[in-house]
Amino acid sequence: MSNSANLFGNPGFGTTPRREFLHRMGGGFLGLALGGLWAEAGEVQEVVVGPHHAAKAKSVIFLFMCGGVSHLDTFDPKDNKWAGTLIDAIGFGDNLASMRRPVIPCLRTFTRHGKSGTPVSDWFPHVGGVIDEIAVVRSMWCHEGNHFPAVIETSTGHRGRPFDHPTFGSWISYALGSANRNLPTFVNLGRPSSPVQLTGGYLGASVAATPFQAGETPIPNLYPPKGSSSAERDRQMELLTSMNREFRERHRVNTDIQARAKAYELAARMQLSAPEAVDFSGEPDHVKSLYGIDGKETQEFGKQLLLARRMAERGVRFIQVCHAGGGNGGWDAHGDIQAHAPLCRATDKPIAGLIRDLKQRGMLDQTLVVWTSEFGRTPWSQNTTGRDHNPKGYTSWLAGGGIRGGMVHGATDEVGYKAMVSPHYYSDLHATILQQMGLDPKRMEVQTLGRTVKLIEEGAPIREIIA
Amino acid sequence: MEAFNLNRVPLRFRSRTQPLRAWLWTLSLCATVVLARNPTPTPTPKAKAKGDGWWSLKPVVRPALPDGAPANPIDRFLQVEFRRRGLQPVGPAEKQTLLRRVHLDLVGLPPTPAEQEAFLADTSPDAYGKVVDRLLADPQHAVRYARHWLDVLRYADTDERMTAAPGIHLWRDWVIQALHEDVPYDQFVQVQLSGRRAQERTQMSATGHRSRREPRPGDEFALGFLARGTGESPQDLAIAAADTVSTAFMGMTVGCAKCHNHMYDPISKREYYAMKALFDPLVLRKVTLASADERIAAGKAQAEVARRRAPLEKELEEFTGPFRAKLREDRVLMLPSEVQVVIRKSERQRTVEEQKIADDYFPILRIDDDKLREAMPDEARKRYQELQRRLNASNSGTNAIRVPNLPVFHTVEVDRQREQEKSYILTSGDPTRPELDHEVKPGWPFSSGEPDFRDGRIEAFADWLTAPENPLFARVAVNRLWQWHFGEGLHRSVSDFGELGGVPSHPELLDWLASEFVRSGYSMRTLHRLMVTSEAYRRASVADTSVAENQRLDPGNTTLWRFRLQRLEAEPIWDLMHSAVGDLDLKVGGPSFDPGTVGEAPLQRRGVYMVRGYSSNREVTPDFLQSFDVDDGRAPCPVRTQTVTAPQALFLMNSAGVARACAGVGARLRRDTAGDLTSAVDLAFRTVLSRPPSAAERQSALAYLEGDPDRLDRFAWLLFNLDEFLYVQ
Repeated sequence: MSNSANLFGNPGFGTTPRREFLHRMGGGFLGLALGGLWAEAGEVQEVVVGPHHAAKAKSVIFLFMCGGVSHLDTFDPKDNKWAGTLIDAIGFGDNLASMRRPVIPCLRTFTRHGKSGTPVSDWFPHVGGVIDEIAVVRSMWCHEGNHFPAVIETSTGHRGRPFDHPTFGSWISYALGSANRNLPTFVNLGRPSSPVQLTGGYLGASVAATPFQAGETPIPNLYPPKGSSSAERDRQMELLTSMNREFRERHRVNTDIQARAKAYELAARMQLSAPEAVDFSGEPDHVKSLYGIDGKETQEFGKQLLLARRMAERGVRFIQVCHAGGGNGGWDAHGDIQAHAPLCRATDKPIAGLIRDLKQRGMLDQTLVVWTSEFGRTPWSQNTTGRDHNPKGYTSWLAGGGIRGGMVHGATDEVGYKAMVSPHYYSDLHATILQQMGLDPKRMEVQTLGRTVKLIEEGAPIREIIA
Repeated sequence: MEAFNLNRVPLRFRSRTQPLRAWLWTLSLCATVVLARNPTPTPTPKAKAKGDGWWSLKPVVRPALPDGAPANPIDRFLQVEFRRRGLQPVGPAEKQTLLRRVHLDLVGLPPTPAEQEAFLADTSPDAYGKVVDRLLADPQHAVRYARHWLDVLRYADTDERMTAAPGIHLWRDWVIQALHEDVPYDQFVQVQLSGRRAQERTQMSATGHRSRREPRPGDEFALGFLARGTGESPQDLAIAAADTVSTAFMGMTVGCAKCHNHMYDPISKREYYAMKALFDPLVLRKVTLASADERIAAGKAQAEVARRRAPLEKELEEFTGPFRAKLREDRVLMLPSEVQVVIRKSERQRTVEEQKIADDYFPILRIDDDKLREAMPDEARKRYQELQRRLNASNSGTNAIRVPNLPVFHTVEVDRQREQEKSYILTSGDPTRPELDHEVKPGWPFSSGEPDFRDGRIEAFADWLTAPENPLFARVAVNRLWQWHFGEGLHRSVSDFGELGGVPSHPELLDWLASEFVRSGYSMRTLHRLMVTSEAYRRASVADTSVAENQRLDPGNTTLWRFRLQRLEAEPIWDLMHSAVGDLDLKVGGPSFDPGTVGEAPLQRRGVYMVRGYSSNREVTPDFLQSFDVDDGRAPCPVRTQTVTAPQALFLMNSAGVARACAGVGARLRRDTAGDLTSAVDLAFRTVLSRPPSAAERQSALAYLEGDPDRLDRFAWLLFNLDEFLYVQ
């Protein structure tokens, strides 16, 4: 495969500078989107929307816990004095009638960690160890109370899908373009709750998430089927280029045809760069151990987070890591909140390891780590020892990338049901990430379907947590 | 808006028999008045009062045909722009290129080598016309164009809470059949909205008694269009109907009016909900499509299974009864005392409010299997498990009776009770938040006074919608047909004829086509023929240095100085690959198939039938479709995007599906040419690219094959990865 990256020579687009050409030909969106995806190294300024101001963060590692983590058992401790009592849950979910539910006790012990003394439950001891890097936002909320609609709402910033709204990472990809010509701009690791979390929507497939995974085949269809030789493929590629020549000459001013040549180039480059990105053999044991790759319960998520760090190092802008995805999501603990325990064990050490590793490499300043779910869980149960969905108040946290560590922002009410102090709609989280990436949240909009569609209808960065 | 509010204009033109005609007549007067006041309406979005003089709402006036040499009226209109802008359109495409183009367009399948030979050999002046006629009469043309319509009508095999999913393919089959019969477009829409053809609504008995006629058998399947909209809320059907009907047939994106008055389009929130109210009385009805014998047999089987289970179920119930009662009592005692009172009443004793409270507490009082088990001592638990095991075993093993799944279809019907209920504006479009002080009467945008609902609400709406005078109906349709042939509509935003959609590139041509459509009796086939026999359609797609001047003057090719190069859609790519393999099954109609199904016989049906849809916990739409921009069918898809991405390149290079097709092509070439590599190369070019190889191409192919027929698989890979394969020139 050694030289196939260069096999698709530029078919010759005359002397028109590429940018002017795209501008003139593609007009608007196509040219711009191509500019995003196909930007050469050093050409990152050829992008669509931004940056609008100096960026604090170069990459985002977005940790999405599928199914809804209980904030009450992790980062938002409450007094157990309400346990066992029935409380009013008027307006909760679909129930407009008076509804009383029994509050269940929280069985966790919370310890104040670090210089900041932020309390973290005994389910996240390692994260507790890096808590001084983390800003905990305890007052998140969204509208939707069921998984699928809430995943749509939190990933696209819009409720329902009357239009094909793109997921948040696609907007980043669209707005900033690539910083690495050999890898996609937006990758997804792990199984998401919903395909919506990967979609480029009306921004197009070119900015959608590329699924990546640790292991032998990092990207779907990356390698030829078993039994074919790479020498043969090189020969095919060479012949393909010559067979395409006449056609490309005939349609030389067509942007699609140029894009197709480039697509094969990037595909060929990814065949070289993707295996290198997922190859951990050069990582020393102590680093692997930091991520828990040597532990049975932690190795799977640990590998994904190590891969996430390697992606960030290589300039991938948005690395979405989905944990326990598929269906309603593994964190959906209706029956028994103890179902969280193994998931916390699987993620605690890798997450803390990621933050430590980024820090010791001097990357944490430019890498924004975000931890969130589609919603939190209720103080009460549905006749079980588990907790129901709670979109009205829950916790997300951020670290690195210009975020003030070691602080708690916002609060839920006494039982942990509704966001009361400094409530933040989910779009505020998006706006905060955009702000740190050098983008103006108000200017994230696109003309499509004959109208202006905004990523964020209402929302602003959470100023209090920005350093 | 003022001008369109017909409640304020004298209604003397309106007669009961032809209210619409009269209304539009009035409308045209109003529009003229507005125009006189504002002679050059500009399409700026900041425009003025809503709808004033907006081009798409003006009546279609058949423009005079411009002078000129071309025989096809389309070319006369296009020529006007060429002259005005000093453009020199390129010459006609080569015969072979044109044949591949028109085949892939009209039937979505490539011409066979024999068809290629025949067309090249036919030097008669109407050689091309004969091909067009043959293709339009082919049932595969209906299959191909049904796919276009079903994108717009948001066909999906599955969607969240889509009760109508089983049997939904019968709606697709209906669309295919209707297109094959060239059912007039107004009837095509009428039947999908009301299940009836307009002329088949009422009948008179010998005694003069008027009654509703039974719909034509089979037409009920057209109602899959409305049934597909069912969802979580009973109101979803009506909401989906209002949204889809307005975008698909009126080119009005009224969805925004759900929450606020539409900012640019002349549709208010009230009008949106009036439209929704038309569909509010509809409910889903399940139709079992089995014969009487099949139904009776299924009933017998069901009864036998129940008979076998009954004694064991009784035993199990008697055994668990005391445990259940105790658990329930424990839980009831936890509840507030006023709730306890309600819970202890029997259902018949409860008031409506009390029943609501009881229902709310149902999840708390529901006793799940695991809780029941926990409450039992060890001995009892063992016995319980044994009883459950016996119950499960009662209909298993060799004597097991299988209750057959009877095929079903879901249609819609008017529910007489719901018809009496009032409709309201919904806050933020939320079905659970009706604004009780904002009642809306069924109606539609631009409505004139009280509509006549004696034949039914939807029938009245369908009559208005499909009337020749409706300025949007024909314009929107012909523009879609144009888009499917030329790749882009004369009006680019094909589902948005509102103010943000801009103006068409050739307004006169669009109007001429719309009036021609009406004049032809809404024959889609007539319009197809008209369009694909134009010079514009037959032009070359070349975009090299020889056309630099045109490129400079009209880089976007809006004047159609050349034919637009188009990337193939997913389905024709699939069909092309399997035509080349020689295993494509051309059977028309039937359920969808999933190419990823493991262990079943290969299902090489046309790509049109490939499953698509959405589920929250699994991928429904196969990789093959997703790689080439097929949506999940949740929302109408008026234009397929034609992206070109690296993952798409990897799919064509390395996916298992493409590898299988390459092996299949190799095997077919070896079989059909008995190892003669020169003929194999020739056949490969003809089946994949619909043309013979040039001498140079033949030579380099033979060099690549090295005399080894086994290398034909790899050669097929080359052809499938060529730009020329993926594009229609």
